[in-house]
Amino acid sequence: MLRALSWFRPLARAFGRPAALLHRHAGLVLFGTALVPVHAAVTLWMPRLLGDTLDQLQAGGSADRLRETCWLLAVLALVEAASRYVSRKTLIDASRHVEQALKNDLVAHLQKLPVSWFDRSRTGDIISRLTQDIELVRFVMGPLLLHGGSTLCLLPAGTWLMATMDVPVTLSCIAVFAVLFLAMRLLMPRLHQWSKKSQEAIADVSQRAQEDFAGIRVVQQFDAVARERAAMATKNRRYLLANLRATRLRSLLHAMSHSTSGVVMLGVLIVGGHQVIDGAITIGQLFQFTGYLGLMTFPLEILGWTLATLPRAYAAGIRIEELFEVQPEAQTGASPPLQGRIRVEGLTFTYPGAAKPSLQDVSFTLEPGQKLGLVGPVGSGKSTVLALLMRFYDPPRGTVFVDDHDVLDLAPAHLRRLFALAPQEPFLFSDTVAANVGFAHDSVADDLVESAVADAALDQDLPQLNEGLGTIVGERGVTLSGGQKQRVSLARAILSDRPGLLLDDTLSAVDPLTEQRILRGLQRARGGRTVLVATHRLSVVRDADLILVLEGGRIRERGDHAALLAQHGLYAHAFRLQSEARALERGSEDAP
Amino acid sequence: MSDPYHDDALEGRFQLDFVKKLWPYVRPYRRGFAGCLAILLVSFGLEMAGPWLLRHAIDGPMRAHDIATGERLTSLTWIGFAFLGTTFGGALLGYVYGQLTAWNGQRVIRDVRRHLFDHLLGTALAFHERNTAGKLTTRVTSDVENLNELIATGVLQSVFDLLKIVGVLVVLFFLDVKLAVFTVATTPIVVLISVLFRRNAQRAYRAVRGRLALQNAYTTELIGGVRTTRAFGREAATAAKYAERNAATSDAWRDTVLHFSLFFALVDFALRATTIGLLWFGGSAVLEGTMQPGQFVQFWLYYGLLSGPVKELGEKYNVLQAAFASCERVFQLLGEPRFPPPKADAKRTGKRGKARIEFADVCFSYDGRTQVLDGVSFTAEPGQTIAVVGPTGAGKTTLLSLVSRLRDVTSGAVRIDGDDVRDLDTGSLRRRIAFVAQDLFLFTGTVLDNVRLFDPSIDEARVWRALETVGAADFVRALPQGLGSQVEERGGTFSQGERQLLAFARALVVEPDVLVLDEATASIDSASEARLQQALEKSLRGRTALVVAHRLSTVRAADRILVIERGRVVEAGTHEQLVAKRGVYAGMVAHVG
Repeated sequence: MLRALSWFRPLARAFGRPAALLHRHAGLVLFGTALVPVHAAVTLWMPRLLGDTLDQLQAGGSADRLRETCWLLAVLALVEAASRYVSRKTLIDASRHVEQALKNDLVAHLQKLPVSWFDRSRTGDIISRLTQDIELVRFVMGPLLLHGGSTLCLLPAGTWLMATMDVPVTLSCIAVFAVLFLAMRLLMPRLHQWSKKSQEAIADVSQRAQEDFAGIRVVQQFDAVARERAAMATKNRRYLLANLRATRLRSLLHAMSHSTSGVVMLGVLIVGGHQVIDGAITIGQLFQFTGYLGLMTFPLEILGWTLATLPRAYAAGIRIEELFEVQPEAQTGASPPLQGRIRVEGLTFTYPGAAKPSLQDVSFTLEPGQKLGLVGPVGSGKSTVLALLMRFYDPPRGTVFVDDHDVLDLAPAHLRRLFALAPQEPFLFSDTVAANVGFAHDSVADDLVESAVADAALDQDLPQLNEGLGTIVGERGVTLSGGQKQRVSLARAILSDRPGLLLDDTLSAVDPLTEQRILRGLQRARGGRTVLVATHRLSVVRDADLILVLEGGRIRERGDHAALLAQHGLYAHAFRLQSEARALERGSEDAP
Repeated sequence: MSDPYHDDALEGRFQLDFVKKLWPYVRPYRRGFAGCLAILLVSFGLEMAGPWLLRHAIDGPMRAHDIATGERLTSLTWIGFAFLGTTFGGALLGYVYGQLTAWNGQRVIRDVRRHLFDHLLGTALAFHERNTAGKLTTRVTSDVENLNELIATGVLQSVFDLLKIVGVLVVLFFLDVKLAVFTVATTPIVVLISVLFRRNAQRAYRAVRGRLALQNAYTTELIGGVRTTRAFGREAATAAKYAERNAATSDAWRDTVLHFSLFFALVDFALRATTIGLLWFGGSAVLEGTMQPGQFVQFWLYYGLLSGPVKELGEKYNVLQAAFASCERVFQLLGEPRFPPPKADAKRTGKRGKARIEFADVCFSYDGRTQVLDGVSFTAEPGQTIAVVGPTGAGKTTLLSLVSRLRDVTSGAVRIDGDDVRDLDTGSLRRRIAFVAQDLFLFTGTVLDNVRLFDPSIDEARVWRALETVGAADFVRALPQGLGSQVEERGGTFSQGERQLLAFARALVVEPDVLVLDEATASIDSASEARLQQALEKSLRGRTALVVAHRLSTVRAADRILVIERGRVVEAGTHEQLVAKRGVYAGMVAHVG
């Protein structure tokens, strides 16, 4: 019993969910499957009819009888076609329904997983599970539903019918098929292996090409064209070899199955032919026998295909289920009304799995309506402070408070309603500019969008876009510059009308003049909002109530702009250099 | 609305031009392909032999009651082995055919891919700015792959299929005219069904492709945008939008299922109906004694050979259309002019330690209307540093790209040691010049690969020397595998300052005569700020350099400062001269603080 369960459990894990979803379409499945035996019976009847007819023709039978047979065959063909149509349509449809539901369920589930989980996972991997793996499960499920039943009917019934005619020939046919089957099972995994290698090789080619094109300036400037050509030739060669190996196996499999039919026909001709000569069977029966053989080939192929694909579908099923098994973010916690006073006390934080802490002993307080500047080099911990406020990660208890509530005690969704985040790498959906700006709302008035767009200084760029706010941007639309993306993201945050704005290096790619406009716009849009800005551009935090200079996760300097300049430290030095750069980029017409 | 997929149109038309353009790639392998065609012909013969043998088995030993049983058995055995021979022969030929087409076809593909990649690396920067790396990569990978279909499926298989259809029909006529006429009369029905299906299925598939592309794009977005979604509490809205797109795709899929189910049912029924017709006519002929039963079986089996190619006609056409579309795209890219254009009498230039750079009345325009550079003239004597300052968009970066001929002047000339750069061999010119960009472009590979840009002729000692010079040696040494450490995607391994230092190292390791530098703005990075200053000084020392400057210290140290506004040099001179002049530059300096 227990041993039986030990193989059942993983199978249930891989295929339990698709099976349960299939259950929702039980009607379709039952209807489609019910026609399978009908189809099989008709199919098996035909060789018999044909064989009989052949014998009658030899014996000089009547034309009436021939006509009757032809009519009967026509009716059978009609039934065959109709049942085939219905079962294909219903069963493959059912598999598509399952695919659809599986994808929806997985996406809904992913939406609930903690952000920290996404950071640990590779995007490409999640997407391949969500697309290729689910599609593979469907790819096996559809044909399995459609042909599985008919194979189950045809194989035993056909074998039995053949055996009633001639046991030794049937047995030898089975033996030959069995050998072919075993050989296929042996070769298939190797074929998959080489196919995989060939896919990896072309992915490698693709990646190198992508980089070379993206970095074409470097490649051309450093005269690296010849070297890249050589590197590419090696990669191309690997691809070629893997492909040729895969083709060799494929041709071998093909040749083997082709030869098998020759061996089987030899057996049928010699043994069956002998019996015809001996008068034990008629030519019609021999013909009938080969007819059955022909019918068996397809179910056998399907069986072979299923057995070859099933392990891959199983692996895909497991990979899908692994995602479903990830625990969603807990949505427990209080949802009291919040003012938005932020207090951080002795915060030391280490990312899960990291060796060194990203923040060490960070403390500050920010009253509602105040502006905080977080400055420091890449990796100094600026973004981490913002991510902890959003509770994308859990800080240690007793370190991060909003209105004296430990953020750990607040419901994450409630806490997040307090802040609008414009992240470091702004994310745009392939949608209109307006939809991207209004992302936080189900629907929003045009004038509000326009005013947010103006506050983010995005309006100056709209004339360049052919359809203004209605222009589709993102991957499948117009590609915006880094600075434009940042401003869309900023406008989105402004429009969301949350009490706090978290700007994570949101102005890094805009030019100084636009930056000035944005800062003025922000001032206008801000109202009483609390603002936290992480930035490399010190001009952005000049008016902050408090500036923290972070390095290696520790606060190195703190104070407002004037106080920091007076310290003649890191901040003062960097500020001087940055203002030099700005000065050297001033035109003679720029307003003083 | 414009079709967002027009770029990757999957249907193309055949153009005679393809043959002409593809031929140079096929030519080296023409013997192999001729061999493939010969094999196809022989295996067609073998395929035809099978039913012929069966007929003789039936009409010969099986039914020849007047001959002695022993003799009948012997001849039956002989026929059996002959049959086995044809199948084994067919299998062997099939195997060889598979190998041979792959061997030759894949090599053609490799050559096209190699050539295309090569060609694209040598096209103008402006072309790359118009075409994304992703798009070009697709051309090099998938589109080239589709060409294989053109050769294997298109030429070889289609020729063979047509041959098969014609051949079988001819043989059928020899066997029995009446039955053959019946077959020829009914075949168009199957072809018609196939063609109709193709049209509908194509439409349905187009819908699937479009919707699936939208859905997959959204899949990528909802994973990539998970922080944004979470930050604004839009989880449910996002999932609902996904479900909407998913439903659209799923509906489209079910539409294709409808077409397929109908097609399979209809075409099978049509084929069955034809065979029933054959049975009726053939059976009557046998009853009348005008046809032997074996002959009838042979006819019947030949007809079976016909049904495969006829059924697949539509499918082949789809594959071919995709291949034509890819073919067109690939050759379009191959038609893109190389930049710089190849020049037969190009003069090679060698490293001499120093160089004299001269801009003579240089004008440059991207679009032929707006002048980005307008009559820029200056000279950098050997070893001098020229600093360029001015507002964003004044043409500073464009100016830098003219030296190593990433772009060509619209009028005027850029000269190195008196030679117009357009007269020089570009490779030898570029090897004398190194470029330091504001941000380091990192390739997948090790730190070593990235510093020496995969150039094996630069040994590790030289790389270390360059790293020492710029002050990057210690942090590289501190990496887990030192020089052999893999750089992470997006270069998360290094701070901004460190990336800058590596960019300097990459430039110095090639020991250039000229340094072209786009100075990065300083960040708060106490660890590397001082080193950057030193790296810059050491790199410029003794070299001719052109620097877009963002630091006062850099401008001060420069031998000459060019103030550029709207593509024109508005002031030029040393720091002291320009400050004394109380012009634009003096205004800039006054604003520091």
